[in-house]
Amino acid sequence: MGNLDIALKNAMDIDGAIGAALVDYTSGMTLGVAGGTGEIDLTVAAAGNTDVVRAKLRTIEMLRLDDEIEDILITLGSQYHLIRPLSNRTGKGLFLYLMVSKSRANLAMARHQLRAIEESLEL
Amino acid sequence: MSRVDDLPRRARPQPGTLPPPQALPQSLAGNPALPYPAIGQELSTLRLQIPGVHGCVLGGVDGLLVTHNLQNGADPDDLAALAATMYGLGRQVGLRLGQGDFQQSTVRNAGGYLSVYAINGHALLAVIGTDSINVARLHLHAPTTAARLAELLDGVSPATS
Repeated sequence: MGNLDIALKNAMDIDGAIGAALVDYTSGMTLGVAGGTGEIDLTVAAAGNTDVVRAKLRTIEMLRLDDEIEDILITLGSQYHLIRPLSNRTGKGLFLYLMVSKSRANLAMARHQLRAIEESLEL
Repeated sequence: MSRVDDLPRRARPQPGTLPPPQALPQSLAGNPALPYPAIGQELSTLRLQIPGVHGCVLGGVDGLLVTHNLQNGADPDDLAALAATMYGLGRQVGLRLGQGDFQQSTVRNAGGYLSVYAINGHALLAVIGTDSINVARLHLHAPTTAARLAELLDGVSPATS
């Protein structure tokens, strides 16, 4: 699991990062979390965003697009939430979840860095 | 002399030395004083809150059914008994490892889940879920439901039979 810890640590090194998690969307359980604050429970975020990912996957299936999610961006008043399903074989059914502060983060950079983390993550 | 003869044997207890029979607490099952409508409301709220919940069973730790909201399929009496079995295993694990009271136990099969949550020392909440249920969400919501059920059950006097 060293690889997972390094990936989460790298995710927290992204400018403006508030919290990061690796989540299994077949169950909604987290494989690892980093960061978060007193008010933000990342396990709650993981369970809730599991439903977001599932809804989008079901929509793609219903539209018969035969495609997959590269990432999902959710913009709040003060935060960006990035969801990135793992595309490699070992990461099937998992997604990376990153919360960043809108005022401190560079969205394009955060997205780019999260892609690099996802590509290097081998479980 | 065979080795079997060396084994310690249990002596027949002498009359008068037997421990007194254990007084078991009154069963929750069949108690007409329970607030059934409020309990039913809690169980259906949990089922509506989390997609993939087939139904809930409220049972005593003695394995007897109190109430349920299963639509079809499994027999609620069987499930109440199974929930008590899972509780028994969990309680023994807790005792042996010194980890305290039983809280929750989940079985995952190829086609679904059965989760059992402790309500209080006498009652259990069993939840049946499909394979695609968001089990993390269930684990977030069900303890809250169990706590509310505990409040509902607390104010009830034991049944007089």
